[in-house]
Amino acid sequence: METDKLIQTLAADARPVRPLASPFARMALWLAVALPYIALVVIVISPRADLLTKLTDARFLIEQIAALATGIAAAVAAFASTVPGYDRKVLLLQALPLAVWLGSLGEGCLKTIWQFGLAGLSLQPDWFCLPAIMLVGAMPAAAMVIMLRRGAPLFPYLSAGFGALAAAGLGNFGLRLFHPQDASLMVLVWQVGSVFILTMLGGCAGRTILNWRSVISAG
Amino acid sequence: MQAAQRGDGQAYVKLLKQITPRLQMMVRSQRRFLDAADIDDIVQEILISLHSVRATYDPSRPFMPWLMAIARNRLADSGRRDARRNANVVVVDELPVTFSEEEANIVNTYGDPEALHRAINGLPPGQREAVEMLKLREMSLKDAAAASGTSTGALKVSVHRAMTTLRKVLTAGGGHGN
Repeated sequence: METDKLIQTLAADARPVRPLASPFARMALWLAVALPYIALVVIVISPRADLLTKLTDARFLIEQIAALATGIAAAVAAFASTVPGYDRKVLLLQALPLAVWLGSLGEGCLKTIWQFGLAGLSLQPDWFCLPAIMLVGAMPAAAMVIMLRRGAPLFPYLSAGFGALAAAGLGNFGLRLFHPQDASLMVLVWQVGSVFILTMLGGCAGRTILNWRSVISAG
Repeated sequence: MQAAQRGDGQAYVKLLKQITPRLQMMVRSQRRFLDAADIDDIVQEILISLHSVRATYDPSRPFMPWLMAIARNRLADSGRRDARRNANVVVVDELPVTFSEEEANIVNTYGDPEALHRAINGLPPGQREAVEMLKLREMSLKDAAAASGTSTGALKVSVHRAMTTLRKVLTAGGGHGN
């Protein structure tokens, strides 16, 4: 087919389109959908008995704010990665809250070792974390996929990985509101570990979720 | 592009015609070994991609970085696709004779690329285009439909008719065997 003919065909198909909002505005919209769902899940499962006390615990607050900020920053990065020509520095946005989150948990582990020695670091199985994070993150993840598919699939693995990190970060934020597990090592291994696994799985599914073939056929 | 986003077809044609030579130049400079037809294929792929994601253009930002990000991405995709395809190609100077029986070494006229080329050129334009896109360029039905502006059903009919015509022409032209 000649390029001129293709241009005429594309122009004939040029229905008006509304430009996508900025990655920050889209993140705000995503959050507006995700947070009420997370609140609902926490209420249905029932918040932890000591939640009010925990809200005055500085370490708990830092970890929760860092998890939430990681999710929010990863969402901005995911949306930005689907906008051609967008400044790639935004993709590093989640590095800071992630470092604070991991740093706070790491510091908690070191403190335990300092106080009780290595014997103080007990690691028991906590298989509840992965499915619970998946449950809390399910709706944010679904909303993320729908919103990402409106963009350009320039870096499918990266976009899907950031999207999964955003949903899992929020999932972990919600989990800690009803799951009374605060030991730094347990949180690091079972909760952050689950977030890491879900991020990897999401990233691996990138090409299936985001590809030019489906974007072009959707027109 | 802003006008195109509002549905102004004329402005869109003007824009696409303006950027096409720049895209051709960019693709040519990156893929010096490709012939003109292959370069056009990639440029068309970029134009179709641009069209599909035109909503991602933010009117408050410059247009060229947006366009070039799409172009570079599609160029890289085509490079990966070619690399995958070439990895499965076995180049041989001469086809080995595997059996001593004469019947096994009969040249089949279906294997005559020149006759096939002539036969394809003799097809009506719609059928020729369908064969080129679906059989020669191995595009998917959806992509080919988007590129040609027809439905997948119409493409299926065209390619079916084309294959029937080609079979008839090639059989009548030389028949099977020696």
